[in-house]
Amino acid sequence: MTTVMLVDDSATMLMSLKSILTKAGYSVETAEHGKQALDKLGKGVKPNLIISDVNMPQMDGITFVREARKAPGMRFTPMLMLTTESEQTKRTEAKSAGATGWLVKPVSPDQLLGVIKQVLPGA
Amino acid sequence: MNPLLAQFLAEAADLLTQVDEGLLQLERTPGDPEMVNEVFRAAHTFKGSSGLFDFPELTRLTHAAEDLLDAVRAGALPLDSGMTDDLLAAFDLIRGWLAHVTSNECLPATAGADAAALITRLRAPIGGEKVKVETTVAVARRDSAPAWLAYFDEEWLAETAAWLRTTSAQMRFIRYVPDSGCFFRAEDPLHLIRQVPALERLGLIEPVEWPEAADYDEYACMVAFVFAARAAVGEIDYLFRYVSDQIEVVDLDGDTIQRYLSGEAEADAAAPSEADEPGTVDTVRSSPSEPELVADARAILTAALRSLAINPTGHVHLVSVANAITAAAHALGDPVEIREPDVVALTATVTRLLGDTPPPEDAVSTAPIEPIPVDRGRADDPGGQVGSRILKVDQEKVDHLMELVGELNVAKNGLTFLAQAAEEEFGSRALSRRIKDQYSGLHRIAEELQASVMDIRMLPLSVAFSRFPRLVRDLSRRLGKNIELVLTGEDTMADKDVIEALGDPLVHLVRNSLDHGVETVDERLATGKPGTARITLAAVADGDAVVVEISDDGRGVDPTRVRRKAYEKGLISEEELETLSDSDAVDLVFRPGFSTAEQISDLSGRGVGMDAVRASVEKLGGAVTMRSELGSGTTVRLRLPLSMAVTQVMVFSVAGQRFGIPVDLVVETVRVPAAEMSRVLHQDVVVLRGEVVPVLDLARALDMPWTPDQTQDRAILIVGVNGQRVGLLVEQFHREVDVILKPMEGLLAYANEFSGTALLGDGLVLLVLNMKEVLGLAARVG
Amino acid sequence: MPLELGDTTATLTGVVTVDEVEELAAWLQATAKPRVNLRKCNHLHTGALQAMLRFRPKVSAAPTDAFLAGQVLPLLEGSGGEPTRQGSEPP
Repeated sequence: MTTVMLVDDSATMLMSLKSILTKAGYSVETAEHGKQALDKLGKGVKPNLIISDVNMPQMDGITFVREARKAPGMRFTPMLMLTTESEQTKRTEAKSAGATGWLVKPVSPDQLLGVIKQVLPGA
Repeated sequence: MNPLLAQFLAEAADLLTQVDEGLLQLERTPGDPEMVNEVFRAAHTFKGSSGLFDFPELTRLTHAAEDLLDAVRAGALPLDSGMTDDLLAAFDLIRGWLAHVTSNECLPATAGADAAALITRLRAPIGGEKVKVETTVAVARRDSAPAWLAYFDEEWLAETAAWLRTTSAQMRFIRYVPDSGCFFRAEDPLHLIRQVPALERLGLIEPVEWPEAADYDEYACMVAFVFAARAAVGEIDYLFRYVSDQIEVVDLDGDTIQRYLSGEAEADAAAPSEADEPGTVDTVRSSPSEPELVADARAILTAALRSLAINPTGHVHLVSVANAITAAAHALGDPVEIREPDVVALTATVTRLLGDTPPPEDAVSTAPIEPIPVDRGRADDPGGQVGSRILKVDQEKVDHLMELVGELNVAKNGLTFLAQAAEEEFGSRALSRRIKDQYSGLHRIAEELQASVMDIRMLPLSVAFSRFPRLVRDLSRRLGKNIELVLTGEDTMADKDVIEALGDPLVHLVRNSLDHGVETVDERLATGKPGTARITLAAVADGDAVVVEISDDGRGVDPTRVRRKAYEKGLISEEELETLSDSDAVDLVFRPGFSTAEQISDLSGRGVGMDAVRASVEKLGGAVTMRSELGSGTTVRLRLPLSMAVTQVMVFSVAGQRFGIPVDLVVETVRVPAAEMSRVLHQDVVVLRGEVVPVLDLARALDMPWTPDQTQDRAILIVGVNGQRVGLLVEQFHREVDVILKPMEGLLAYANEFSGTALLGDGLVLLVLNMKEVLGLAARVG
Repeated sequence: MPLELGDTTATLTGVVTVDEVEELAAWLQATAKPRVNLRKCNHLHTGALQAMLRFRPKVSAAPTDAFLAGQVLPLLEGSGGEPTRQGSEPP
């Protein structure tokens, strides 16, 4: 089963993305911020895809991606950032930190599932 | 209600609280980068979540607030109090909207209009609305082929050129050069190309020289691709949006390819020029014959561009814009396909169409084209409803009115000085009396005017209370406690500034109760209490003040423990440890540096203690007291003035200089013969009706040289501070005046012994004492 | 199992992801006359394609996947990515 890890400090965002993904048959792991997500990765959670917010307390999304790339088995895992239209520079930063791409909030189910298809071969 | 919306509303309450707290704190300690960041993040999260619902005004308003905060965060501009006011007003408006959403699941009909002015104000410091025209992929249409055409199979190219010439068609050619580290961003270029619709041909660019087998790094991407497709620009745009800098797109017709193949045209190795000259628009497109049609289509496209910039979100909105674009493109003879309308793709499409279509010669191209009205917020706005008796007034106007009332008060106060002058300087008691009559008439009108304006500014306390049901529910869940929240007196009215300022301390106190006051269910049952605890928020008007009580039936404050902790922290002496009464001991929790929680919890925050609550309430001219009974609960009582706008101060002078003190604090003024002053334990005291009252020499406390005339009676101002009576030795009493207290600014901002300044009728600036600090100062001076 | 590595023939099945690239590259490098069976392969990660381009195995069975068969296979069988001389030989 394909597992998607969602990292966002907004419970609303987590809830909305999770419901879309669960309905589409994905297994979902959630974390409220980068540190918690890294903890989970350290404890053997192996998502096939990570979707993370940029602005979060404790550890921001870009630092998280940079760190997550170093986690075991995460070298080639697609990682997408949740951004707003105005966060152009963040996208560039995120890419150089190892992010695959980004989603623009608000994320519609079609956009979300479409991007997963795009970045996950065989999904 | 849909659970996602419910979740959003719950989260919004928390976020709004954070924003408010942060903004208020920023006003106290401007420029704290951590705090700016925190407020920004809350606004940002808010905006992100708001986009999930069809609340375009909400998204736009939070977007504006976010942009402003982002500029502040980036250090581009300092946060001034005007901006803070606008931000607070924005989030106030949002809070109101959300209350409406809670009951009606939609924004109020007036939301669009309400937001518009605020958005303009929020955007003003950052130079108005940002218009972002993002073109991810520039499609060049050109009559010379790029050199990389060589990577296609030559035979296929020849066939394609022939076909395109026969059919007067063109094809899209793309070169994609992934960077060598792309695998480590989980990119798979081949997978991306596989998804290109209507892919015609793939070509490969291999490295000029492959590394030796031993040196071969299988994770470094060394290949690149060229491909030809009939995919729409939007499709290419979408698929390659994460690697838009790595692709180059050109549209070529058969002739161009043919010229390339026959070596006629010099292959153009340079990057495609950004904007081709209008003249090079290819002949393939059936050019629309009627200039009017072109003008109309351009108008629609221009409007669409404006509309996308103004309102970049909302699926319904985007679909309608997309339809308009499709229609316009069709009219221009350049049909476009828009599958999943998103703002970036639409903007790019419109920009391309506009760039490709020169305005028709005979069209009046200089005339600005009015955008299609897109403000959907007004669709259900009753607008000029006949017979409506409720006026909606911009808060700014009310604030301005309030300021004018204040000025009027100051001018009015000037008359009393004039009366005094008439009597003392010109010796005309009659004139003085007439002036005083005029004054009292004016005074009455001014008072009524002030009362009416104050009334406009009044809001029910439910505004401050509304966030708590959700907050308590969520926090109690997180803590595993059962809590019933009881709200009473929500319809008690107070000035909007007071309500605003109340938020910060209230949240802290309620969180404190939840976190430290209320026991877990098991603990409660073990002590014979019902498992469900009760937290009560009660408001009641009390004359010129509003009293808010936060009480719980939790474990209460243990005076013994408090005494010991205070002693350990050096806050009280050994003697006090023995003698301090229980109620006085409870009061110790308000001392700076005292924190009852053994460990800082994430609920009550980092090191912000009860002292901060007391400080912020006292800054508003209020008072906090706490009553607690061990084992049965705690009650914290906040007493705040109903209004913060106008303060009555008593004016007096010390060492020849005038000062003010809030009238609320003044118990009485007495004159005592110098001989009746006595000294007890190095402290001047005066005995009033059998009570010994300590007397402070204010001149000495404020470090001003003054020796009282030994033959004159002592003028002593008796004030009540923290339930104690203290006498202040002053030089002379003057009158009571109504003033608008302004916070201390500039060099005096750190002079804690003053709570603010006020302009007097005779133009003098009056310093108003912060009694608590003055008493502390006096104690240190000794 | 996307990768089945025999003495001379590797059979690639389903989606060959980046996770298989290292193993495949190592096998291609170590095998004298490598052959690759792509019949049941549905997708090749760019890294896998690149390794095959570098070590030039013989494709023993063509893929049935349309994209691989139509667009990628010619690249593997072609003369390599040498650019055709532009305009040198008019068609």
